[in-house]
Amino acid sequence: MAATAAPVPSGEGHRPNIPSALVRFPAVGSYEQVDAEIAGTLGPSLGWFGALGVAILCMLIGALTWTYQIHEGLGAAGYQPPVMWGVYIVTFVFWVGIGHAGTLISAILYLFRAGFRTSIYRVSEAMTVFAVMTAGLFPILHLGRPWKFFYLIPYPHWRLIWPNPKSPLVWDVFAILTYLTISATFFYVGLIPDFAILRDREKNPIRKALYAQLALGWRNSDKEWRHFTRAYLFLAALATPLVLSVHSVVSFDFAMALAPGWHATIFPPYFVAGAIFSGIGMVLTIVIPLRKFFHLEHYITLNDIDAAAKLCLFTSMVVGLAYLTEFQVAWMSGNGFEQDYFWNRVFGQWAWAAWIMLICNCVIPLSLFSQKLRRNLKWLFFLSLTTNLGMWFERFVIVEPSLSHEFEPWQWGGYHPTWVDYAILLGSFGWFFMWFLLFIKQMPVMAMSEIKETLIPRMKHPHVTESQVLDQHGMGGALMNDPPLTGGAA
Amino acid sequence: MQGVLGAFHEIDSAVEAVEEIKQSRLGEVTVFTPTPRHEFEEAIGHGPSRVRLFTLVFGLMGVSFGYWIPVWISDYWPIVVGGKAIATWVPFTIPGFELMVLIGGLATVFAMFALSHIPRVVPTIGYDPRFSSGHFGVWVAAPPERLDEVAAVLAKHGAEEVRRER
Repeated sequence: MAATAAPVPSGEGHRPNIPSALVRFPAVGSYEQVDAEIAGTLGPSLGWFGALGVAILCMLIGALTWTYQIHEGLGAAGYQPPVMWGVYIVTFVFWVGIGHAGTLISAILYLFRAGFRTSIYRVSEAMTVFAVMTAGLFPILHLGRPWKFFYLIPYPHWRLIWPNPKSPLVWDVFAILTYLTISATFFYVGLIPDFAILRDREKNPIRKALYAQLALGWRNSDKEWRHFTRAYLFLAALATPLVLSVHSVVSFDFAMALAPGWHATIFPPYFVAGAIFSGIGMVLTIVIPLRKFFHLEHYITLNDIDAAAKLCLFTSMVVGLAYLTEFQVAWMSGNGFEQDYFWNRVFGQWAWAAWIMLICNCVIPLSLFSQKLRRNLKWLFFLSLTTNLGMWFERFVIVEPSLSHEFEPWQWGGYHPTWVDYAILLGSFGWFFMWFLLFIKQMPVMAMSEIKETLIPRMKHPHVTESQVLDQHGMGGALMNDPPLTGGAA
Repeated sequence: MQGVLGAFHEIDSAVEAVEEIKQSRLGEVTVFTPTPRHEFEEAIGHGPSRVRLFTLVFGLMGVSFGYWIPVWISDYWPIVVGGKAIATWVPFTIPGFELMVLIGGLATVFAMFALSHIPRVVPTIGYDPRFSSGHFGVWVAAPPERLDEVAAVLAKHGAEEVRRER
């Protein structure tokens, strides 16, 4: 379960750099406080209904546009030779990438015992599940006859479309479906003890019955916890290489092709780093307003946000290195097609998109070297939006320049997304946020049982104080207002 | 089985009660705790969870199945691609790996459910809603003649409430 470590203060001002494993919740004093404050976020509010209405409206715009596209054909979406992969594949890869941060934060940071994971992992896992659900729509949206979607599933059948298991499109089906299933399972398993808490607190009989079903009769017994903690650890251990594999497999969709700019061995690590970067960007986009509107500043502390921002900076630099490596490989390859392609990407036809990508993904994140900016929420929120924008354009820059500038001049062309592309892109955001907004009012946005694990439980004969724990970790008793260990809530 | 339930607000009191009951062999102890605590694991002294066996066995079955599917498909209807052999293990490692994770992961969860006896539809004795919030519960299943002794131990260690259930 949660990584337990020494508490540190989470003041709003400038603080010494804090190892992320030491992040804790100094303003949370008792188990009852955790239950009351986090379960208290569940009641619907007017603002929530408004946001949900906007999300549903965006989704409906996308759905209506899709019916128009089915009637008119895929030409309505701006496809024209030689570019027959457009905004839909770009947005598919974008949402799969967003879906990466959830399992990264949940599984990898769990194995590494990174303390800042505890407060943001539930939101990230939910984001993963909904992002992969959104990504899964795009292969179907990309079909002229979407009711034939089951042709996509690679199994031997009588239709004489025999699957080729050496094709990356078949690997994609295995990878994405496994990722969706394991992420959703990991998400649900982590929720079971929290559903039990909600079941025991709930007064409304209908909601109580619903939570009781979802909690599966969980009783918090020592036997249940023993098996739960083991199962959670093994799921994390299985999910960690899965995170790395899924976006590697998505990258093979491109790298296995011979088009200039795509056929590169750097694609798997490049895609994985980019996916983590975009996922952390979306986590910040979601967590910063959530923290404010739910008054959870003492759970999602500035230390947590600071740690997430460092991860954002690190992955941004990995992505920047991958961009430079691509250019270097093209330059040193002596391959005229590759060199021409990269020149066209950065200084030619697609320069506008490439420079949006480079500025958003490589230049703006460098500001995170400043701790002051890492702790400035307005700046971080702006940066998270530019990260999302930059990573969408990264996928655009990968897909369109290659397809529009292949080996021979007769293969050269352009691509202009139409209003149909933009409306369906908007619809995908509406679909994602609709699910997310429904989630935050039906399920706890933080793992209550894990947060409790980081607290020192009430004791009759306390043999250690918070200050002693701080001293032990070299924090010099910096915690203000130690909560009374025998008295409960601070 | 009859038993006695003690509700504690302090963890050290509950741990001391469990230790004394185990030492005196008064009955079978189940602890309810809002969050996993190593103190109880040590006091109760259970061995390692058997979930790991299911993860290993089903993970191995998954990887075998994941390699077998593409080998069978390729052998049944050969599609020669890029001069590669009909059954090539390198590209088939991807379905092999993915099915290892899928089947191993799902088996882990089902093993956790089976070993913990959940889903549980019938309410069980010895549970109190306080145990998911801030209290620690110690349920001792014991023969009728020892129930008074168990209740006395729980009360001695500071249980807020001691009650008999059956």
